Order: sequence, then structure tokens, then C-alpha cells
Amino acid sequence: MNRCLIFLDNDNIQNSIDLLEVANRIYDAKEYETIGISINHLCEDAIGKFDVIIHVNDKNIHDYHQVVITDIVEKLHKEYSFDSILIPATYYGRMFAPRLSMRLHAGLVADVTEIHNDGEKLEMVRPAFNGKIMAGIIKQGEGPIMMSVRQNVFTYTEEQIKKTTIRNYEPNVINKSKMKLLSVQVKSQSLDIRESEVLISGGGGTLEKFDHLDLLAKEMNAQVSASRRIVDSGIASRNIQVGQSGKTVSPKLYIALGISGSTQHIEGLKNVKDIISVNTNRHAPICSLSDMVIEGDAIEFVSKLVNKIKSEKIYNIEEINK
Amino acid sequence: MKIICVVKFVPDVENFIYDYEKNVLVRENVKLILNPDDSCALAFALKMKELNPNNFIEIVSMAPKSAVPLIEDLLRLDVDRGTIISDKSFAGSDTYVTSKILGKYLKSQTFDCLLTGSHAQDGDTSHVPAQLGELLELEQMSGVTKVDLNNFTIAKAIFEVESETIVSTFEIALPAILSIHKDSKYKLPYVKYEDLELDVTHKLNIISDKELGFNKNEVGIEGSLTKVIKTYTKQYDKKSKVVVTNDEDGINEVYTFLKNKGYV
Repeated sequence: MNRCLIFLDNDNIQNSIDLLEVANRIYDAKEYETIGISINHLCEDAIGKFDVIIHVNDKNIHDYHQVVITDIVEKLHKEYSFDSILIPATYYGRMFAPRLSMRLHAGLVADVTEIHNDGEKLEMVRPAFNGKIMAGIIKQGEGPIMMSVRQNVFTYTEEQIKKTTIRNYEPNVINKSKMKLLSVQVKSQSLDIRESEVLISGGGGTLEKFDHLDLLAKEMNAQVSASRRIVDSGIASRNIQVGQSGKTVSPKLYIALGISGSTQHIEGLKNVKDIISVNTNRHAPICSLSDMVIEGDAIEFVSKLVNKIKSEKIYNIEEINK
Repeated sequence: MKIICVVKFVPDVENFIYDYEKNVLVRENVKLILNPDDSCALAFALKMKELNPNNFIEIVSMAPKSAVPLIEDLLRLDVDRGTIISDKSFAGSDTYVTSKILGKYLKSQTFDCLLTGSHAQDGDTSHVPAQLGELLELEQMSGVTKVDLNNFTIAKAIFEVESETIVSTFEIALPAILSIHKDSKYKLPYVKYEDLELDVTHKLNIISDKELGFNKNEVGIEGSLTKVIKTYTKQYDKKSKVVVTNDEDGINEVYTFLKNKGYV
């Protein structure tokens, strides 16, 4: 029986559960068993979806104790001989996966966004060069299939409820970590662009007057997001960046202003219903994905559309008052 | 104290040109730059050296020999030694093998802290820092946005990791690996004008497989555990789009589109 280990990350449980879809694509029609591992939290949402959940309960182990978590999974691997190990590409997952892969001498593919499986070879697809290129990668050597999986890319939709065996696991490993968390400071909360139905997004073409986007966002009750170029130039904070190393967003409407649309950026858009793009180059990659393309300057577009919306509002009010 | 910065030179991807006609990325003539995160790591090390000139900084990079001039440029800053690990047999190594090669050299060295970047802008797997941690039996943390200059000693370091919602402050016993994020905004100084042509060859340390002694099948493509079998620019389903311009008709059309869909 094939055994697939999925690491259940505290940060985003649903996303960890969605990795079941990756297992699905790896094994296709073959029989396989899914084993989830969670550290210090009983993942209730995962019950009924996995065959086994290994629940490690040791209050002395924290996420940042990467060495001891590696020790635990190595021990479990000796017992179960996993055929594949899937780790969500969260902050800790991206540190844990390479450490574990070195320990197990397994080839690791990072930030997988697609699985191509022709029954003979398993191709793991990931973005490279800032998302400008996608690379199809296969594993070599004896170790298990190992990958970290880009967050919020795969969705698990299976309805069938499994009987989950919960195994409370006492690792019996010594945590030799000399790292301490001294303090945690919560940053002032800004709105989450993933929750917005309409996103007004700016790229290089809005570099000069990025703050103008707020005007349109206000009129449309939308939020402002940005491309990597804007964030890297320091104009906007990273928490509003759309793109692979940034975020996956699923608004109903996405207005791309002066964004050419690197693969990375486009990968950050998922299930977006309508896309409007404004670009001086009507052949920019994002334009081919758009329902409507405005060939021209993005900031000029913003001013004109804001005026149009405002004048229509005034017109409507006048109509009502008549 | 001795600080080793493990760095990488990467193609300046921001200046890649995309050929829309052929739908390919033009990769020729792209110049190499020091990876931005690594540059912040080195800049922090130089800051420490400024505070205490006795600190010793070594740069270690696995790179083709053509990177020697780039290393030399860094040696014209206050860097004490530049080690370039280069061998034809290393070409094509994946992250696993790269870590093994770097690890073998680093194991032969003594140091108090290993600094790396957090992300590389070419591959961006972030594998090597954590894999080095495993090989050298050191703890490693990514995404470091600030290191407390007053609490960076032979014994310990205090540093911050900033995520979207929180800033966490950690203390770690050294030696350890700290992987610096470019949001730390540590900036490399410029080479002094009078040092622009400075001869730094005595600081260069070139290491090949002669010194490291790998078996041929352990390195390069043969030793790698992953293999890129193809690269492609992604194809997307094209929509039947409407193209307008910024004139009155265009804006009206956009407005009607938004109105019909209930967005305004």
C-alpha cells in the first residue's frame, strides 16, 4: 500500500487538508493511505478525511524547533516508510521540508503548483525565475517523493467520509534546541486582500501615482492590491502583494492597472470571474486573460473612471430627487 | 568573531526581456547580480565589522569561475576572505547536491555564525540554508528582518522575524544559521573610489573538487535527486476580450460592463 504523509500546519489547516488533492493526483487510481501529522493541535477538521492522524503532543515542542520535528518525522518514516511526503509551503513548512529531505536523502521540489502524471513519471511543476518560467521536475534516487506545495493552489473536494484512526504519539526524542521565542508583537491589522470581492491592483504602470488607486477603490468599495514591482520599490507593504511568493486571491473582479502579468502574478489569481486590465501594451500577458482590455495609461484610466462613476452617482441621486 | 556569509549570484531577473511574439523569455546577455537577500546578509555582517574591526568576514559562494570578478568587487569592501567553490563536475547540481558541496567546505571551517539570504530570486526554493543546517547540525531560521546589533555575540543572537501579522523576537545560541530577508533593508556600502581597482587576489580562496574530493557520481546532474525535465512559459486559456482605449467611449464601455455585472 502506498503511504502518503501530509504535514498539518497550524497556520492554515484547510490548506494542509487540501494537499489530499495532491495525493489524489500522485496516486490516481492506485490504492493509497493518507497519514496526517499534527504537532500539539488536534486537527478536528482533518478527522474523516485522512486514514490516520498522528497527533504529537509535547508542549515543549514549538514550530520553530525544526530539528526535533525532523527527528520525529524521521522516526515515523522508519516505521511507516512513506512513499510520499507533502508539506504546505508555509513559513515553517519551507524550512522544515529541506531539512527533512536532507535527513531522508530525498529529492525535494519546492512550491509545487501543478502535478502532471502520465502514469509512468510524476512531474512536479513549480515556478522559477520569479514565476517567469515554470519548471517540470522529476525525482531521482531511492527516497520518497517529497514536495512543498504552494498554499491555496489545490482544492480537495472529496465528499466521502473516512474512518480516521487517531494515534496519540509520544515521540521520545530530546529537544536540544537552543532557540527561544522572546516576544510576539501583533502588527496593526490591515484588511486582508484575500477577502475582498473587488481588487484594484497596481503594477509598474502605477509606480508614479500608486496612491491614486485608493480613489477608485473607494468608489467601488474595493481594496487595493499590488504587484511585486510596487512592493519591492517600497511604495506598498508586502501584505497587499498578489503573486506566488505573495498571495493567491480570488476576487470576483480584478482590475489590473499597469500590470504586465508575470506568470507569478497570474498564478496568484485563482477563480477570478472578471478581469479588466489597463496597459499601454495591449499584448501584455495579463491582457490575454482579461474580459476587457483598456489600451492606455493606467492612472489616466483611474481618474476617468472615478469621474464617470461619480457623475453617474450624482445623476442617479438627481433622478431620485426629481 | 568569525562570520561566514554564504551567497549566490543570480541573473538579474527583473531585467529579463519577454519576447511576446515568440512567447519566450530572452535569457541571453542577462547580467549576474548578488542575490538581493544575500546582499542584505553581507551588509549586516559588514555592519558588525564596523562595530568591531576584529570581526572576520568570509564570503562563500558556489559559482562558475566567471563569478570571480563579482567576488572581487565584494572583497573591495571590508570582507576578509572570498571563497569560490567551483568545479566543472559541480555543474547541474540540484539544491541537495549544492548543499552537500557547500556543507563539506563549511564543515572544514570554524565560525560563530553563518549568514545566508532567505530567498534567492532565481530558483527561490530556499532549500540550501535549511539543508546546510541539517548537514552542519545547526539550527536555522529564515525570514530574519532584523538582528539586534547589541545582542550579537559569540554566544547568542537576538533577531526578529516579521510576518504579515506579527513580529516575533527570538534568541538563538550561536553558532547557528540566520537567513536574512531583504525586507531587513540592510544595504551594502559602495566600494570606495580609491579601492575600485584594488588588488584583492590575496583574499581569494578558490576551492575545487581537488580539495573537496567528491566521487563523480555524487555531484552534478548525476548526484542530484531532482531533475528538471522541461521548462515552459505557462499557457493560459485566452478569453475573448474586448479592447478599448481611454477615451469617452472606452470609459463608457467599461462603466457599462461594471454596471451590468453589479460592480457599481
